[in-house]
Amino acid sequence: MSITLDQVTKRYQGSPVVNDVSLEVGEGEFYVLLGPSGSGKSTLLRAIAGLTGVDHGRIALHGNDVTHVSARQRGVGLVFQNYALFRHMTVGENIEFALKVRRMKAAERRERRKELLRLVALEGMDDRLPTQLSGGQQQRVAVARALAHKPPVLLLDEPFGALDAKIREELRRTIRQVQRELKITTVLVTHDQEEAFAMADRIGVMNLGRLLESGRPDELYARPATRFVATFLGAANLLLARQTEQGIRFGAAPVNARRVEKLEGGREQEVVAVLRPEEVELAPTRDNLRTNFIANGIVEEQVFTGAFERMRVRMADGAANAHIASPNTNGGNGSAALLDVTRTQHEQRLFPLALGQSVAIGVRRIHVLPTPLSSYTAYGSDEASCERLSQHPFLVELASRMKTRIIKRSEAPLVACDAPASAPVSGVAVIAAGQKTAEQLQWLLQNGAGEVLVLPAHSSAPQRVLIHWADDSARRSTLAVAASLLRHVAAEAVYVGILPEGSGGESQRPFGVRTLLDARSEAQAVHGLEMRTELRFGAAADELQRQLTESQDPMLILGVSDPAQLRGTFGALFTSGSTYPMMIVYRPSKDSEGAVE
Amino acid sequence: MAGGPSKEMLAEIASRPGRDTLISSAVKYVFIALSLGFLAALLFAPLATVFITALSKGWEMYFESFKDEDTLAAIKLTLTVAAIVVPTNTIFGIAAAWAIAKFEFRGKSFLITLIDLPIAVSPVISGLVYVLLFGAQGWFGLWLQERDISIIFAVPGIVLATMFVTFPYVARELIPLMQQLGNDEEEAAITLGAGGLMTFFHVTLPKIRWGLVYGVILCNARAMGEFGAVSVVSGHVRGLTTTMPLHVEILYNEYNFVGAFAVASLLTVLAVLTLIIKSLVEMKRK
Repeated sequence: MSITLDQVTKRYQGSPVVNDVSLEVGEGEFYVLLGPSGSGKSTLLRAIAGLTGVDHGRIALHGNDVTHVSARQRGVGLVFQNYALFRHMTVGENIEFALKVRRMKAAERRERRKELLRLVALEGMDDRLPTQLSGGQQQRVAVARALAHKPPVLLLDEPFGALDAKIREELRRTIRQVQRELKITTVLVTHDQEEAFAMADRIGVMNLGRLLESGRPDELYARPATRFVATFLGAANLLLARQTEQGIRFGAAPVNARRVEKLEGGREQEVVAVLRPEEVELAPTRDNLRTNFIANGIVEEQVFTGAFERMRVRMADGAANAHIASPNTNGGNGSAALLDVTRTQHEQRLFPLALGQSVAIGVRRIHVLPTPLSSYTAYGSDEASCERLSQHPFLVELASRMKTRIIKRSEAPLVACDAPASAPVSGVAVIAAGQKTAEQLQWLLQNGAGEVLVLPAHSSAPQRVLIHWADDSARRSTLAVAASLLRHVAAEAVYVGILPEGSGGESQRPFGVRTLLDARSEAQAVHGLEMRTELRFGAAADELQRQLTESQDPMLILGVSDPAQLRGTFGALFTSGSTYPMMIVYRPSKDSEGAVE
Repeated sequence: MAGGPSKEMLAEIASRPGRDTLISSAVKYVFIALSLGFLAALLFAPLATVFITALSKGWEMYFESFKDEDTLAAIKLTLTVAAIVVPTNTIFGIAAAWAIAKFEFRGKSFLITLIDLPIAVSPVISGLVYVLLFGAQGWFGLWLQERDISIIFAVPGIVLATMFVTFPYVARELIPLMQQLGNDEEEAAITLGAGGLMTFFHVTLPKIRWGLVYGVILCNARAMGEFGAVSVVSGHVRGLTTTMPLHVEILYNEYNFVGAFAVASLLTVLAVLTLIIKSLVEMKRK
């Protein structure tokens, strides 16, 4: 591997700007770090170059650990957004700078300079000053300068940011050509997904300091694992659907989507589906559709963009309730059921459309996100408490980042926890922390909840998320929930493994450590979640309580396989009325339900 | 057609007599005349007087006045002080500007205020501070006397006072420049393998050179011309602790007008030279 990052973390004023990033870039690979501004991608690049130190983790170049090696010794080739050419030196002097530092002979320097100028197509420009060159030419010089000393890797920090579209494209091609010719491992940072698609062998998408997903451009586009990647890489409609035995169902209409991956447990549940605008088919009536019908709709907006026609279609029927991601609405509700659709010229000719026309909507291909967190439902014993809970800043922030909605549901039985709920719980149930948290949790779990978020009245966004599960059968689903949640929260994840004290607790240490490592590698491999691990000895509830009180702005994700565990093993956590958010994950253990994997 | 004025309207605007332009150009000339007149009265007239008086008894007497030993000593002292003060303040100015422009630290704004202090404080006070510290009755006076070190009424005092007064010029010039130019070139140099010294001399210094030269020129002009602070600490010992500005005053008080104005004219020539170099630098910077 040319570049290996292992759990690299960089904090700025306490909060992580680069959060547990692990990454391997192969020999000669062109890797693009893609993310919005402030996602930590540039900081990560500077950390690889050695210009920024890291607080935690390891960086290796070609197998050599360089975590504590200075930028000067690392000698990577770095290209800046604003060129950073030495303005008082000529093009030739700029390129020869690194060679002069290395005391190379003048003749050899000249040779290398000529070769580099040929590479970036700037022959004969040796004696110009940077100010006499255009932006595109300056950046070519910067690339040549960065390559002069044959660096182990080439790093490009938004190299096209200051250039206009035409030159950008040309320079893109040059850089890709140079990279192929030299077979040099390259990392490019950008916020432009088109640029990422055009150049990358592999793309890594970053948000909130985390590397969310990493993969080939076509794979990431077709099968994103997270909402963020789905909506950041190209346009996407996010729809809430129910996964049933027969397939995916939007509102009343079943969609026979064959290529949907089976989710764990096989139980019927709410899922988040990704529908690309170009995978939508529009037809005059349901019978004219060649694909699966999902709803009827009305054309609300129509924009001609040259090759494509872009439109927004308002969905009618029950499916209107399924639409959750709309850029203009916060979380959204049924009234914002606008579906983004793009059509090719060919499609436009086959079925010309006008504003206000009603159409039947079909889908060619649908992708279900493997996230267990679909939507939030705020539960309270009356309307007022529901309303209050749904306004909770952390919940609102979480829902808007996840581009999902918050439903309010008042349930009188929540007070006594005796009668069954009026409707089965779907998505994540949210309750306010209080004296009866444990009873309410149990009641929700009995009514079909798989995940419950407990929010104290005053709690800020967590900085440190502790993860724990009661027994192994809850591991998988707890990790899935933790991974999904942590993609939307800028916090550090720590798995706390707890072994009973006494009765040879110390002798169990090797076993405990192995459990931790297994958990860590599973989190990484299956869920793309990077987390630390800690091993404790003692009673689970006490140890967790201690850890939580010691951390600043903590949150707990707790997995159980039996509702009784909440009052038994972990009872102590609920008696005091918690001051931190808690996410309870419940999956019945396999043997008690006999479900298949 | 929606938006924008019609074709007729545009033509009408274009054909309007330049009423606005007429007024504004009149205003322009009035202001130029005003400021020129002001300058003539306040600056050129005194300057002319300096040279006319200095040459009133002919060139011979003019050059004769420079043969006076005390005058030569004053010129020498002024140049010595400048030779010590300017390089010292250049180095400290670069260091201070570097610290302020490149790093974030507590008390940064306090440091910036401190650098500005000598400009805000009256030069006489700056001189008095040193008398208070190192004078016979000062805090360190006795201690210095015991060791036979004289600072006040001697060259070290003059150097210190001048240094204090001229400190801001280099730093003040460099801070905004360095902040504006940023750190990228230095970082590029480091990733290319350059060490700290090489980065400074081959990247940073050439980058800031014109700003630096400008600051040094201003610093030098002030160092040679400083009167107030130096006057307090010098003690006016003829031939020993009088700098050129002080010497001008002494000669004038002795009714040696030709001598006084001859030295003054030399100072003026130095100042004008400085200004010429300054404008050349400014042209070069653009």
